[in-house]
Amino acid sequence: MRHSSEYGETARMNRPRNTSRKRTMTPPFSPVLLAGMAMRPLPPRMLQPILTAALRTVLRRHPEVFERLAILDDPVFLIDPIDLPFMFILRPHPSAPDLRAVRDAQDEPFTAAIRGSMLALTDLLEGRIDGDSLFFSRDLEIEGDTEAVVALRNAVDGAEIDVFTDIAALFGPAAGPARRLATHARGLLDAATRDMESLRAAITAPATRRAEAQAARLDKLEEKVQELGRAARRAAPAASRTKRSAKP
Amino acid sequence: MTRKLELVCPAGTPASLRAAVDAGADAVYLGFRDETNARNFPGLNFSRAELADGLAYAHDRNTQVFLAINTFPEAGNPDPWRKAVDDAAAMGVDAVILADIGMCDYAATKHPDLRRHLSVQASASNPEAIRFYADAFDVKRVVLPRVLTIKEIAELNAQIPVETEVFVFGGLCVMAEGRCALSSYATGESPNISGVCSPASHVRYEDEGDRMVSRLGNFTINTFGADEPAGYPTLCKGRFVAAGKASYLFEEPTSLNAAEMLPELAEAGVTALKIEGRQRGRAYIAEVVSAFRRAVDAAAVGERASIELSTVTEGQKKTSGVYEKTWR
Repeated sequence: MRHSSEYGETARMNRPRNTSRKRTMTPPFSPVLLAGMAMRPLPPRMLQPILTAALRTVLRRHPEVFERLAILDDPVFLIDPIDLPFMFILRPHPSAPDLRAVRDAQDEPFTAAIRGSMLALTDLLEGRIDGDSLFFSRDLEIEGDTEAVVALRNAVDGAEIDVFTDIAALFGPAAGPARRLATHARGLLDAATRDMESLRAAITAPATRRAEAQAARLDKLEEKVQELGRAARRAAPAASRTKRSAKP
Repeated sequence: MTRKLELVCPAGTPASLRAAVDAGADAVYLGFRDETNARNFPGLNFSRAELADGLAYAHDRNTQVFLAINTFPEAGNPDPWRKAVDDAAAMGVDAVILADIGMCDYAATKHPDLRRHLSVQASASNPEAIRFYADAFDVKRVVLPRVLTIKEIAELNAQIPVETEVFVFGGLCVMAEGRCALSSYATGESPNISGVCSPASHVRYEDEGDRMVSRLGNFTINTFGADEPAGYPTLCKGRFVAAGKASYLFEEPTSLNAAEMLPELAEAGVTALKIEGRQRGRAYIAEVVSAFRRAVDAAAVGERASIELSTVTEGQKKTSGVYEKTWR
């Protein structure tokens, strides 16, 4: 039973099918961004065989994800990696799940959208980072039905998904070598991400130093203005008292 | 050498339970996947089968499991709560964490050997109230509301016959737990009855170009600038305009961190330390529990540990909360 309140029953958010707006988050400077640029000419449908196989693997290896999402009414999620030239539409229906890539989602109705860098989304999927922490730091953006987002976050966090191991499982008897290769590839990706972050920091260092110096000057000016304001307020009553005492 | 404090850690999923146990929890607290516990979030919590697996995993590693049955039964519908208590006893959990007087009585009568802890939701903060729960229902431990200074906790401990457990990390309720009606007022659902404060089904985040707006039901809770750290969409953490100025009228988005106060808490007679966050991911659990494991072990040999956890805190800020009560 739901408890009614002055606002309660009308305040519960409906479950509209939202449509996407333009990306406003700035993607990080990373190998994923460069790879995304290189992949731009490829049609998203080329990814379909991999996505279908990956989803089947998740359904087989982590059925509890779909069980935990059963409380929702056939939700559709827009997963938007902001550093890639495509987005994913996920329908985690227990008997007919669907995952596809689209160039843009303007005409794709969805229940909820989750946006962030591909690395942040992968970390979230694998439970290597806490979703609330990503949200607090604004590295993750959500849109639409918040309950659906929370349910999806909890479901995947509880599943102990390992993207590379799960993908390696697709290779059947060759899963072992594929996993070792994937682990090596992940190491290379992590190293390249760190290198590019160092490169970005080096390139932006002079501008950052200038911005910090300007911010410090602004802080001092602000303090000075506040001091002057306080001095003016102190002087005003004194002047007023002088005026009053000058009256006969 | 100081007495060693017990570290009680949250788990919202079996994966989080394993993360907490592996990171050094002395006990893990969790709830069933329904309204009988105060973290009834979508996609969270344990089925009976998952609890059975979790108990085996934890007990094999000498970690206790406490089951939170800490909401107040709906009038005329006590069965889900009674069944939760019965299942807890049958499955062998180490303690149940109860809030409702009726459930305390039910558990004491039907399952006298099932250890009973009093939830923070019961809001027992004075010796008379705590002695009542101890005398009437043989409650062994009380989770204290976050309204007492360390000095007040020491004075309380001297007057009661039961153990005390206090929060040391995580999200803060600024209201008296179990008695807050803000969520009910805004949404019709509350942690006390429905098991969830500011339920996600009533929350909406909207991008308005240069700012993000959070709404709970018909209330605008906050607006955040492009790079400003965000917080939870609860009324008590809202930023409202009063007398022409926008400010956090009740409490800023911030998290409790009492890691540096563990020696004083031990000195005050506290038995156990509680980490908040059953709704958080297993990365949070692993990071916070391991940090507090180090801090508790350091406190046991008379050392004070400072731990940096700002990346996982609400608003990316921390406070020592009411333990110091500097505003008095």
